[in-house]
Amino acid sequence: MTIQMVLIKLALAFYVGATALAVAFLFSREEKLSLWMLRLLGIGVLFHLGSFGVRQYLFWQIPENRWFFSINSFFGALSYLALAVTATFFIVEREHRLGILGAFVLPWATIGVGSAVIFADPKLEGLVPALQSYWINIHPIVLMTAYAMFANAFGVGVALLVQEHQIKSRKPTELCYRLPSIEELDTLNYKIIVAAFPVLTVGIIMGGIWAYNAWGRFWGWDAKETWALITALIYAGYLHMRFVKGLRGRKAVYVSMLGFASVVFTFLGVNYLSQLHGYLSGRG
Amino acid sequence: MGRFCVVGLSHKRQGSESARGRLAAVAAPDVYERLRERGICEAVVLSTCNRFEIYWCDDASGEQDWERGFLEELAGVPIGERHDLRCDAAAVGHLLEVACGLDSLVVGESEILGQVKGAYEAAQAAGMTGKRLNVLFQRALYAGKRARRETGISAGQISVASVAAQLAETIFGSLSGSHALILGAGATAELAARHLLGRKVGRLSIANRTLERGRELASRLGAALVDWEQISAALEGVDIVVASTSAGEPVLRHAQVEEAMRRRSGRSLFIIDIAMPPNVEETAHRIEHVYLYRLLDLQGIADANLRARQKAVEQAQALIREKTEELWRWLAALEAGQELSLKHSPARP
Amino acid sequence: MTKVFRSVRFNIFLGAVITLASAMGTLIPQITETPEKVAQFQGVHPHWSRLFGFFNLFDVYHSYWFMGLLALMAVDIILCKLWSLPPDQGLVSLPPEETRELEAERHLAQKDAALKLKPYRADFKSAFPYNKAVEQAKKGLDQRGYAIQEDFFAQAGAAFVATRHRAQRWGSYLAHIALVTILLGALIRAVFGFVEMVPVIEGGSRAMQNKPDWNLFVDKFDIKYYPGTRDPSSYASALRVESRGKLLAQKTIHVNDPLDIGGVRFYQASWGAGGMFRSATLKFGDSVIRLPQRVLKKIPGTPLSVEADVMLPDFTVDQDGQADTGSLELKDPAVRVFFQMGPHKTRPIWLLQKFPNISFVENDDGILEHILRPPFRLVDVDPVLFSGIQVAYDPGFKIVLAGAILWLAGMIMLFYLHRRRLWVLVEPDGRASRVCVGGWSSRGPREFEAEFAALMGELRGGMEPRSDLLISRQVPAP
Repeated sequence: MTIQMVLIKLALAFYVGATALAVAFLFSREEKLSLWMLRLLGIGVLFHLGSFGVRQYLFWQIPENRWFFSINSFFGALSYLALAVTATFFIVEREHRLGILGAFVLPWATIGVGSAVIFADPKLEGLVPALQSYWINIHPIVLMTAYAMFANAFGVGVALLVQEHQIKSRKPTELCYRLPSIEELDTLNYKIIVAAFPVLTVGIIMGGIWAYNAWGRFWGWDAKETWALITALIYAGYLHMRFVKGLRGRKAVYVSMLGFASVVFTFLGVNYLSQLHGYLSGRG
Repeated sequence: MGRFCVVGLSHKRQGSESARGRLAAVAAPDVYERLRERGICEAVVLSTCNRFEIYWCDDASGEQDWERGFLEELAGVPIGERHDLRCDAAAVGHLLEVACGLDSLVVGESEILGQVKGAYEAAQAAGMTGKRLNVLFQRALYAGKRARRETGISAGQISVASVAAQLAETIFGSLSGSHALILGAGATAELAARHLLGRKVGRLSIANRTLERGRELASRLGAALVDWEQISAALEGVDIVVASTSAGEPVLRHAQVEEAMRRRSGRSLFIIDIAMPPNVEETAHRIEHVYLYRLLDLQGIADANLRARQKAVEQAQALIREKTEELWRWLAALEAGQELSLKHSPARP
Repeated sequence: MTKVFRSVRFNIFLGAVITLASAMGTLIPQITETPEKVAQFQGVHPHWSRLFGFFNLFDVYHSYWFMGLLALMAVDIILCKLWSLPPDQGLVSLPPEETRELEAERHLAQKDAALKLKPYRADFKSAFPYNKAVEQAKKGLDQRGYAIQEDFFAQAGAAFVATRHRAQRWGSYLAHIALVTILLGALIRAVFGFVEMVPVIEGGSRAMQNKPDWNLFVDKFDIKYYPGTRDPSSYASALRVESRGKLLAQKTIHVNDPLDIGGVRFYQASWGAGGMFRSATLKFGDSVIRLPQRVLKKIPGTPLSVEADVMLPDFTVDQDGQADTGSLELKDPAVRVFFQMGPHKTRPIWLLQKFPNISFVENDDGILEHILRPPFRLVDVDPVLFSGIQVAYDPGFKIVLAGAILWLAGMIMLFYLHRRRLWVLVEPDGRASRVCVGGWSSRGPREFEAEFAALMGELRGGMEPRSDLLISRQVPAP
């Protein structure tokens, strides 16, 4: 377990460094900052994956845990979430050359790993019988990938609000010229949500099918299920407003941010509400 | 020992305009011819509307103080003391300053870089450059690029029209998908339109109260013509509006813009009101997704950019000092028969 | 009236209300999940509780108004979306065969006008004669995976429409059908289905409530723990289901592995210790004594007798100072004993298996007093466990599953397919011909730009070009 903690703490250090560089890049024009941000991020990811690998190996020492992902605890979940946020950022950055968005997105990865290291218990335990199913390798991963994509969209949304404010103030600073244009940010926000929405809904449906196999009911209005549905409803509202009503700009971003608030609540807040589904209830 | 010198007249000298004007009319090959007659085989003539300068390398054996006579001969008018003569390190420094745009009317302007490059290439073609000038000019051009890239001397647009065009890009990104409507057909309207065209705006339309002038401008710019009565309706399909008519009263009212925004389902609208008095009702800026920039806003940004450029001059000068020293040392060593190596040789600038 | 229901505003409002109602149900204690919390709430806030009760807020998801909202949403989806088939942009019916040549001019003029409005436009001249040009155009597009529709051919000119991934327009439609299907499946479950928790003591049996003829027998209940802990690694029941004495089915069910009898499924959902035990083992110094529940036994070598009467599987002291159990799992087993000598009975003493140094004395009111280091300790408890069998019947599940698959198909079609359409107009131009193409993409203008240019380049290349390719982009009105 110590190796695991050393590796993830190293990963955290590199993520913090990358995030700091990303924020610095907002205020300076030095291209090298962006380059090093990506490099530090990449190294952080490698350490992160290493820590993951070690954790998996130790997890599988307990025979009942083979061959499942160790995603049942807060620690494992936060860790994967941070990894997915970073991965999505890499894909988006590569496609659109938007390193400057790092300052808006990478904090989530850092917060994810940081929370895991500071608050979550890295203890490895055997899975409770209810989780010993191949579904644990699919359902949580799919949902958390969607959450990570929504985190990226949120970052883009914040950038959009910043840019919009800059231009509306009629006194734009240098940042205004370095951030992508309002249209580009709006389109990017929309595209990420369009990509993430099907993933979210499929993840919810997978949960239902697993629940049917484990507890006999497809949908029980359990807090986690309900809030995942609420998240999907809010983003569906966003998509409808955009498709049907042509809603753009600030109002659309507010709706998408409400959706992300729901994502955060679904992932974190629900643990205080639900016994069945919660990480904090200890049983996972 | 040979020297590197520069002599010339620039806008920095009062009263030199008429002489400069005459010098500008002289063709470069003529100047080279005359320089060769004097036994100078390495020279570059830089002739722009703001300066006339000759950079040359000679062997000290030649005549002293021939420069003024030479210039007066070229210009055909007396020059008095309005010329500048610099040699050695000072000449190197001056060349670098010129290339970096620090000696220009508008600090950091990029036109001069192209002009220096053109002058150098012309001199090369005429066989008037040797090792010294080649190295000096190539290095100067590279320094000019570096200064503009690494310091803020050329950052930020400094004319109202270019500021507006740049702002349009911060809203829409690439303008190739945008439709701009110009209200008015005067000089400022045309200037704004040209800046937008320079940024590759997708579609351009003109609307003017007097049809004839509008049609004329439209055909000159390759733009479409919009009926003056139809501009309210046209707002629906337009992303950028440039208002530059001489109307005394607002041409676009708050209500019109609001109505148009409703039909456009919230797509951004950038209104550039460079008319005096303003053509567009000021309160339109408060409408969601409308960005109304008035003349004073654009001017404010342009002025701020200019101030920022000037602040960056110090930075650029530090760079120039460093490079001057390096190049001067190299030049002096070369004269002494040694050849030092220079730091990071760039590819052809 | 239906106009209101069909307006986007109303539907977004409806969605928001359903969202809020769902959220409420997670914040207000619900009877189906935590009945004890509901009781607690009602005790603390009696007035609010009356209001809540009126709106059935303690069972939001099964209340009439909530289910009514869901039904309204289903109806709305049908009215707004499913009533009419998805539009197929820009397909116009052809003039009938007979009048084709006569109509040709008008039809072609119409096409030309329509083409001018498309977001993309390309123009070029081909060296091929008219007929060949048309053929080449169709072949070129066909090779690129476009399907040709609305094929018009006359002497004056030819026009056709070519589409790629035409199916994309069904994506949204399917997704909405899926939603209605899923809601339908849920309705069927609500009406015809049931869920019941049947706790069966190991070795015992119990009848179901929803199917009173059916009896569940748990012949054996196995539970395995992770070594050194009290956390179960697996548990299973050897389950037998009989109806009126006849065996229906039997299977050893594990978690995630239920028994299915004609759609009624039996799940190993939970387990626990109810308080019954077969024996409790006490140790006094060197001697060990095994006590069955509620049997007074004499301690050999002493005048004392001892009896163990109550067991709590997860011992805890509640806020009133009384003994209580935190859960039904064997996390902290405790047994209550009392000693007797002749007619004298001691007060009951609680012994904890995990904490031999701590014990509690219970006074007449049931309040506990902490005493340390009893000279005897509880070494082992053999509890009688019960197996929590969840019996569920969900006739709507297959429909929900079908809906889920439709949803997946709809999502893929809507978001991952890229529908592209070209309107092609070919007209004879002396011995050569003129080609005009209009383009449209379901993904919005900028996405299609590069591909359109490349496509046109290819098309022109295959037609022995006579003139330059002119591509223009028109920013369309919304």
